Amino acid sequence: MRNSLKIAAPVATLTRVLAALEFELVNATDEEILEAARDLGMDPEMKGSAAFLGLTYPVRARLADYFDLEAIRNARAAATERLAGKAPKIEHDE
Amino acid sequence: MPRKLQLFDTGELRPTVAALALNLVTRMDLLRLKSIARLHARGLPPDVSWDDLLQEAMTRVLTGARRAPAGVPIVAFLAGIMRSPSSEHWRRVGRHPRAPGQSQELDALDPAPGPERQLSARQELATISALFADDPVALQIIAGLAEGLTAEQIRAATGISKTDYDSARKRMRRCLLREGLTCGIA
Repeated sequence: MRNSLKIAAPVATLTRVLAALEFELVNATDEEILEAARDLGMDPEMKGSAAFLGLTYPVRARLADYFDLEAIRNARAAATERLAGKAPKIEHDE
Repeated sequence: MPRKLQLFDTGELRPTVAALALNLVTRMDLLRLKSIARLHARGLPPDVSWDDLLQEAMTRVLTGARRAPAGVPIVAFLAGIMRSPSSEHWRRVGRHPRAPGQSQELDALDPAPGPERQLSARQELATISALFADDPVALQIIAGLAEGLTAEQIRAATGISKTDYDSARKRMRRCLLREGLTCGIA
């Protein structure tokens, strides 16, 4: 048998390969997952492990993950209002 | 090691977290699902990521859009759901709309996929082969699986012993898991 893939019907071939590989992953043991993680220097038992990126915390950090955007918006609106009403007017000499 | 996780500080109820709260999956299951999502995200456009695929599958379960048949493990069920978005994407961009009554599962058996899908499938097959480029036994197994052969048929055709076959499968699983675990890390 050849080592290379026969790709006369690539979509059907890919479907079969993905199904077979999916089966392998579904049946991967916990120990195999831990071994793979250790290969990468990860410790899934540790809180905040990079292995859980995108699962228990987002892949792409968003401002809302770190800041209370509603509170910032309110503070900004209040500051704008305050400045508009009470800030001293700056006059420029010609 | 089932362990309850905290919700995001934003108060957003992510389906993955909700699923954990419902004890549907363990933390190890989540990592398993992450690798499966990575696998099925291959061939999808860049704006559809593996986490989109997983979230969609979780959402379908949690909203009741898809109901797990009795006796099917939750990971296997979610893996099956993750195949659907890929098929749906190709149906949208392809020239062959789904016939009335045709199920999503049948999309993968589209008899005449468009040229874009064929090109993408070729590229993904090449990428998968490249993952195992240093492992000739794994490549032989992939080639056999691609032809729809069973494990026994592949071993008979290649002369690979059962021990070597099982060892290669283990290496393949580890490689795919590593691929999945690195998702999201720049």
